[in-house]
Amino acid sequence: MTKEDVKGAAAEEEQQTQSKKALKKQQKEAEKAAKKAEKQAKQTVEQQNADEDDFAKDRYGVSPMVQSQQKLDRVLVRVEELTPEKADQLIWVRARIHTSRAKGKQCFVVLRQQQFNVQALVAVGDRASKQMVKFAANITKESIVDVEAVVRTVEQKIESCSQQDVELHIERIFVISQAEPRLPLQLEDAVRPEGEGDEEARATVNQDTKLDNRVIDLRTTTSQAIFRLQSGVCQLFRDTLIKKGFVEIQTPKIISAASEGGANVFTVSYFKTSAYLAQSPQLYKQMCICADFDKVFCVGPVFRAEDSNTHRHLTEFVGLDIEMAFSYHYHEVIDSITDTMVQIFKGLRDHFQTEIQTVNKQYPSEPFKFLEPTLRLEYTEGVAMLRAAGVEMGDEEDLSTPNEKLLGRLVKEKYDTDFYVLDKYPLAVRPFYTMPDPSNPKYSNSYDMFMRGEEILSGAQRVHDAQLLTERALHHSIDLEKIKAYIDSFRYGAPPHAGGGIGLERVTMLYLGLHNVRQTSMFPRDPKRLTP
Amino acid sequence: MAMYQVKPFGGGDIIHLPTCMYRLPNIHTQTVRCADHVLQNGEIDTGLKALEERQDEILRRLWELKAAVDGLAKTVTTPDADLDATTVPPSPASASTFRGSVDLDSLLGRDLGALRDIVINASPSRPPLCLLVLHRLLCQRYQVLSSVHVHSSVSSVPPKLVNCLGLRRTDNFQRQRFQLGFTLIWKDVPKVQMKFCVPTMCTIEGEANVARFLFRLLGVEPQDPAMATMIDSWVDTAFLQLAQGGAKEQATVVHALNDSLSRSPWLVGAEYSLADMACASCLLQTGAAKSGLVNVQRWLKACQNLGHFNFIHALLQ
Repeated sequence: MTKEDVKGAAAEEEQQTQSKKALKKQQKEAEKAAKKAEKQAKQTVEQQNADEDDFAKDRYGVSPMVQSQQKLDRVLVRVEELTPEKADQLIWVRARIHTSRAKGKQCFVVLRQQQFNVQALVAVGDRASKQMVKFAANITKESIVDVEAVVRTVEQKIESCSQQDVELHIERIFVISQAEPRLPLQLEDAVRPEGEGDEEARATVNQDTKLDNRVIDLRTTTSQAIFRLQSGVCQLFRDTLIKKGFVEIQTPKIISAASEGGANVFTVSYFKTSAYLAQSPQLYKQMCICADFDKVFCVGPVFRAEDSNTHRHLTEFVGLDIEMAFSYHYHEVIDSITDTMVQIFKGLRDHFQTEIQTVNKQYPSEPFKFLEPTLRLEYTEGVAMLRAAGVEMGDEEDLSTPNEKLLGRLVKEKYDTDFYVLDKYPLAVRPFYTMPDPSNPKYSNSYDMFMRGEEILSGAQRVHDAQLLTERALHHSIDLEKIKAYIDSFRYGAPPHAGGGIGLERVTMLYLGLHNVRQTSMFPRDPKRLTP
Repeated sequence: MAMYQVKPFGGGDIIHLPTCMYRLPNIHTQTVRCADHVLQNGEIDTGLKALEERQDEILRRLWELKAAVDGLAKTVTTPDADLDATTVPPSPASASTFRGSVDLDSLLGRDLGALRDIVINASPSRPPLCLLVLHRLLCQRYQVLSSVHVHSSVSSVPPKLVNCLGLRRTDNFQRQRFQLGFTLIWKDVPKVQMKFCVPTMCTIEGEANVARFLFRLLGVEPQDPAMATMIDSWVDTAFLQLAQGGAKEQATVVHALNDSLSRSPWLVGAEYSLADMACASCLLQTGAAKSGLVNVQRWLKACQNLGHFNFIHALLQ
């Protein structure tokens, strides 16, 4: 046999196989087409059946988009008000679909509204048809629905819901706003406590994923509780200070010069020049005191361009700042500030227990303890306590973060308090505007306050004399030209004053015993995150 | 022949150069003559004597110091090993002798720069009256920084309890300047607790035990072990039977008090002691003092006359 022959034979074989393959293909296609046709026929038959039997067609469906077409005289009941008192009433509820589960002729749906949820039921009967049950089971999670239902009491408590004594029997259900079928994260996973052990490796959601999809993450019961508590902190702060006779001020955030002389400020372009974002409202608080406002506080954003990627630093946070003129001793100001903090803690303890318990379900922690009046230790005492515990440090050395935490633990062991003040810091570690101690030039009239061993407030008696301020600035090698405006404000009679500021997010985080400040900041900003 | 001849000057005699620098009279050839030699002997004797006396003085002082250091070493290392109970005089020094902070250093350990703060946690539903009485006595003896705090576990405390150690200080003070700190925290605890030096000491629980600790800080505990045991026994009776017992037990204790007080003005020995403080405070707190037994009433009056108990009535209302 020649090569050509072989080739020819092979080609023939190929052709044959090809034709075989082609045949097979054709056969398959034919089968597919047949199946499709069958299916379509079935569907049309079903559709006809469905259309025929669907007597409940107008009791469910997707509503047209609410473009304020009409004013309905309908009262929507809040889920938290669904109690056995409303038994057998027909009411309308607007809530989200938390979960839905179909079981034969019934569909169980959990409707959620903020921290509260209630079980609802669609069952085939004289009010609902099979198609309605199917529709209810297919509504995507997180969609907002309007439901008309009868409230019924149940014999057995529904443990998984917040409204445990009642159940809704749905008569009408309409989708107001539909959610996409694939959610970036599941809410049950976001609420699940971490570290349940290796037997049950159920999924929890990464913090970055949560922060990227903040809108969904904020819907969880834990997040709702955290931010309601944070709102409580802010409100208690304002109320307590207003009662004490303080005036709330608003200070500018675009400033011309970095007041603290640090490099940690953001620059913004300001027409033909550039300006800075305020690192703290300190300068303006003090000017208000010199302007005879006596006691001021301000709540506003603070911008720190520190490249610190830690669990407790943000580049933008809400600062709650206090400044107060005093009569003879700066301890008057410390007493006022600590009393404000204690009132805030008491208010949270007495009125926000449900929120604290909700957060503890996902992030368990010890309840926050404090003493009234607040414990005040001196810096030398703190150093002696640390030395007794084996830490070596100099008399005028600043406390490092691990030392602060250790001191917090020692104080907690002895006095059983999570909140205390450390008074009389060494002068060398404080900024130039801190008033030195009159009896000992190595120390200063400055103080720090700690919660759970972490610093929340740094304050001091300020130097209110222009000459001493100039001396101190020169001592710290600060360019006097840059702070000329600051020094000028003390040249026309300034009262002795002191103050301090706290970070709202950090205080909330430490009160609840959480471990990352991003959990208490709604849309956190740090060196790596600018959106959402 | 010589060129120049110089006439000799001076005598031509041989000059004897001396070989002896100093010459003393030979003492061995001297005859003993009292009048002459007393002076010499006296000089030598007084010189020597003075030297000897000085040496003796120095040696004596050295011995004294050595004895003192040995004594101190013994008391620090083995406090009671050398003490023979039969040789120690029975009545201790009176309670009012001032001993100063040196005692605190030996009792509580060296002052490292931190205020020696005694922290007492008590429940506001059962104020520890005995400890408040002891606080008054401590204030008389040492410079004490007292403060009262209310813990977050308790929602509110009546003002009389908040001010039970005196009104809050408003002056400028440094915590370091005080010898002792007394911090009372009103907290929701089942038993009175005391914390002092957390790294080295565990918590002391029970009002009786804390009372014993504070009493020993006063330094007036009797050295006689028999008396010390009697005091301990009365303290136990007071806190276990009188404060916590039923009506029958309380009545028995009151009768026992009556019997004991018929023999002496105070419960133990001739001095006011912890036993009296403990029994009186428990009696006043439980209200069993209304029994009307003569000796008990007299003794209660005597306690109140001492001045430490005045404030208790205000607290008990």
